[in-house]
Amino acid sequence: MARHFDHMFKLLIIGDSGVGKSSLLIRFSDDTFSGSYITTIGVDFKIRTVVIDGLRVKLQIWDTAGQERFRTITSTYYRGTHGVIIVYDVTNGDSFANVRRWLEEIQNNCDVVNKVLVGNKNDDPDRKVVITEDAQRFARQMDIELFETSAKDNLNVEDMFLSITRQVLNHKLRTASDEQQKDRIQVKQSKNKGKTNKCCS
Amino acid sequence: MERGSLYPNGADTSAAAAAAPEKTTMSIVQQRFKADETVHLIFEAYQIRGQEHFEGLLTLVSSASGGTYALISFSLLRTPLTASNELKINKVFPINKTFQLTTDTKGSISEQQFDLSTDDDRPSKYYYHPIRTDLSAVDFNEFCAKINSCKKAMWEAELPSETTLNFRWLDDYREIGEVKQELKKRQSQYIVYKDIIVYCATWNVNNRPCWDNNNSLRPWLASGEKAPDIYAIGLQELDTTAKAMLNGNQMQMYAAQWIRKMVESVHDGVEYEELQSVRLSGIMLTVIVRKELRQHIVRCRVNSVARGMFNALGNKGGVAVSFQLNEAKICFVNSHLAAHMTYVAERNDDYKAIEDGMRFEENGLLCRTINDHDHIFWLGDLNYRIQEPNGQQRPGPMNDAQTFELLLQYDQLRTEMSHDRCFKGYREGEIKFAPTYKYDVGTDTYDTSEKQRAPAYCDRVLWKGKRIEQLAYNSVMEIRQSDHKPVYAIFRVKIKTRDEAKYKLVLSEVLKAVDKRENDNQPQIITERTIIEFGLVRFNEPAMRDFNVYNNCPQQVDFMFKVKDSPNDICEKWLHVDPQSDSLMIDSARSIRVRMLVDPTSITGLLHKICNTPGKCDFDILILHVRSGRDIFITVTGEYQPSCFGLSMETMCRTNRPVGEYKQDEIKQLMVDVTPEYRVTMPREFFLLIDYLHKQGDQLKGIFQSYDRRQPLSSQFNAVRDWLDTWSEDEFPGTPQTAAEALLLLLDLPEQALLEPFVEDLLHSRSKSEAMELIALLSAPKRNVFMHLCMFLREGIERHDYEANNVAAIFGRILLRTSKSNVTLDYQNLCSQFMRRFIHVDSPDTNAGGNGHAGGANGASGASGTSGASLQA
Repeated sequence: MARHFDHMFKLLIIGDSGVGKSSLLIRFSDDTFSGSYITTIGVDFKIRTVVIDGLRVKLQIWDTAGQERFRTITSTYYRGTHGVIIVYDVTNGDSFANVRRWLEEIQNNCDVVNKVLVGNKNDDPDRKVVITEDAQRFARQMDIELFETSAKDNLNVEDMFLSITRQVLNHKLRTASDEQQKDRIQVKQSKNKGKTNKCCS
Repeated sequence: MERGSLYPNGADTSAAAAAAPEKTTMSIVQQRFKADETVHLIFEAYQIRGQEHFEGLLTLVSSASGGTYALISFSLLRTPLTASNELKINKVFPINKTFQLTTDTKGSISEQQFDLSTDDDRPSKYYYHPIRTDLSAVDFNEFCAKINSCKKAMWEAELPSETTLNFRWLDDYREIGEVKQELKKRQSQYIVYKDIIVYCATWNVNNRPCWDNNNSLRPWLASGEKAPDIYAIGLQELDTTAKAMLNGNQMQMYAAQWIRKMVESVHDGVEYEELQSVRLSGIMLTVIVRKELRQHIVRCRVNSVARGMFNALGNKGGVAVSFQLNEAKICFVNSHLAAHMTYVAERNDDYKAIEDGMRFEENGLLCRTINDHDHIFWLGDLNYRIQEPNGQQRPGPMNDAQTFELLLQYDQLRTEMSHDRCFKGYREGEIKFAPTYKYDVGTDTYDTSEKQRAPAYCDRVLWKGKRIEQLAYNSVMEIRQSDHKPVYAIFRVKIKTRDEAKYKLVLSEVLKAVDKRENDNQPQIITERTIIEFGLVRFNEPAMRDFNVYNNCPQQVDFMFKVKDSPNDICEKWLHVDPQSDSLMIDSARSIRVRMLVDPTSITGLLHKICNTPGKCDFDILILHVRSGRDIFITVTGEYQPSCFGLSMETMCRTNRPVGEYKQDEIKQLMVDVTPEYRVTMPREFFLLIDYLHKQGDQLKGIFQSYDRRQPLSSQFNAVRDWLDTWSEDEFPGTPQTAAEALLLLLDLPEQALLEPFVEDLLHSRSKSEAMELIALLSAPKRNVFMHLCMFLREGIERHDYEANNVAAIFGRILLRTSKSNVTLDYQNLCSQFMRRFIHVDSPDTNAGGNGHAGGANGASGASGTSGASLQA
């Protein structure tokens, strides 16, 4: 029987504040870009279904707040994530330097996870400070695929998301049997039966 | 179960409606369905996703038109339910052969759980409450019993032939419906019609094995110029002798020989392969396709319907092959209907039985019938005869069109079709060939035997469906080994085909649109602010802030504060949030109150957090979760005004001015300092309290009666706090009682007990001198406080102000506080015993310790003097 999708994956976008995480997500889910900057205060998600090798893959993509003060709290969102997109800003050297910290966050909070490294705002050569070769070298060293994107000019965004999705899909197909075990619900018995759902009349 | 109640009808529906004049949950759920769909029961079940718990309903619904049952799982946007739009469908389980309800609770978190699964989907887990809340709902046993009886009745009983069971009605409730429907709507954008040639052939071979046939079958199967794409070749009377029918192997062999022969005899120059053959006794249908077409054919199924003697023998009946080529559903039927001139009605019945009975299974759903196909070709020995009026003689030579036309006027099939008594909707091409029955074998001569059977057009090819054009329809005279002549028909069919490139584009657009709708429909709320600023917060002074949340999306929104990992609660101990969850109707707002109170139960945690947070420490970050939507972080922040309460003795000994003059950040510096450098030997705040108490004389009677840090503080407490935090020279602003309270808190609130890190060892020390060795190792501020305190307490006991055992119990528990969760009586006794050694007046080793330590233990008279001295660093 035909289903709405064949697979569903959770992807997480992390990286320093202001590198364009939300812009990448909006570009991918809505194909739009807004120049005005709105800080993400919390965790937002969008869905998009893509077709890979004839399989419909529904992606639930979580966009996290990058601000330092939210670091501890956002780490709880790594749970159950299939793939992580680590974003830096090619015009901001610090954001690239911090990638190492973000990788540590992943290591501390997830088991096996598929990753992709993304240098965003790659649309103005004059402002670019993180040169491709350095980023590439680092990516190779960390064994992650690198994408230089521009959410503004819609460069490489689609390819990047499809690449991480394919990675996750391949990983899942490889370890299909293990996966079923892991997916078992692990929750504490939460008996909030007496939960008050007040009615507004 | 009786059929009347099993196959739901209108009466059922009206009965349910009549029985529910009030607005029960059941009647609200019923509103969610179409008129011919009946809700039979509702069952309360909840699901757990992540850490969240979703109330829901499982409803057993049947459809009169589909004749089937399904379980539909709803989540509730509101409980109790008030309207049907508060029900959201999250899953549909058709109760087909693959449907399963399992209650295996091995390794699970609850006894009250079960799994539902259907088709290839992974099972969905549901939980239920031991007690139902809605009276119109059923309990679990009733729920299981009813489902099992439905499944049994529907799938194990014989199917009523007049009802076509299907689950198509569920498409309206499925999530997949959206994408599927959208794709269907836009079909014209990616569907193209592709010509294929279909070659249908039929021959009653009159029990002649194929090796009898010296002649080739090519005149029958390779007619026409263009190589066909699909062949459907039907044979009848393969071998209907009793001997052959009893010997399955022999039949099998005959069939295989025929198939081989036919595959060899099709059009030249193109590679073909057998797609599928199906045989019912002597009736066989073989579909042969071009090799390159094979990969585009899916869902190929076969089936047969036996008729003839007892409707079971299979010497009459039909066989069929169904498949999908590209987007076109194609069906071929080969039938051999009842014989003899007079058996017209029997032939019609046979036809009807085949049409009704022929089903092609699909994933456990009985979903395709003959009429579910786009292109249907029905061929075979239909056995309809030419019924000439009585007395009319057979015309002479029968080889001209005029004669055929004359004969066809009396053709039973045409007559019956014109009266809609059979083959409704089918068409047949013009017949320009001689009757195909009955010949003397080996000749072109009509029956010369005694029976002298009238010639007839027994062998026919009919079709039904769109975009079918017949190119040829003929019989083959030169094939003579049967009493029937073979017949063939060639068609050009424009089949629906997906233009893959266009389809990909449309699919991606459809998915995008559906995704966009889902994204746009995500519940949203707006918060008035995401930073709750408390300003300066002082110890034991409650404060509160309100903020609004609005629902600005076109649906009701549920929100709740999420439980975090650390603390395992929605907020820190010093905060209180109200409400913790609520529902917001469209365009409505709700005020949320955040209260803050740093009190004896929470100060330790707050100071700990301040010390362990790099940089500026927020009081807390709350996670405001919108159900099925985003999370918003609400930062609760402000500046904590340090007070001596909660600070360690060491920290207080590092201050060079009153604690009240320090900022949060400055006190943090002192708190994280680990160097053993102190400005005074003992905290001034401690000394001030002891000194005050010391001077109160007999007012101290019964002062240390009890202590519990959870008790509310006295009304003068904040004045005492300020007196201590400013090193005030004013008169003490409280009573001895308040001073005692403050002293106990001062000793109790630091994160570490006064006698740490030696609590364990001290509890098990056997003598005062042994304990003194450990106490000597404490940090100077702690050691001095301890010795000074003991001296002070001993003095009071000597004066009989308070009772030794009582004081030992209270102070022992504070100074030797353990982090272990269950405090045993044994532990309490050990604490008291330890303290008694140090405060007991007549203790034999009173003078053993204290040599050289601050204050010493040399009686009351020296107390204030020594203390005063010790404040000089």
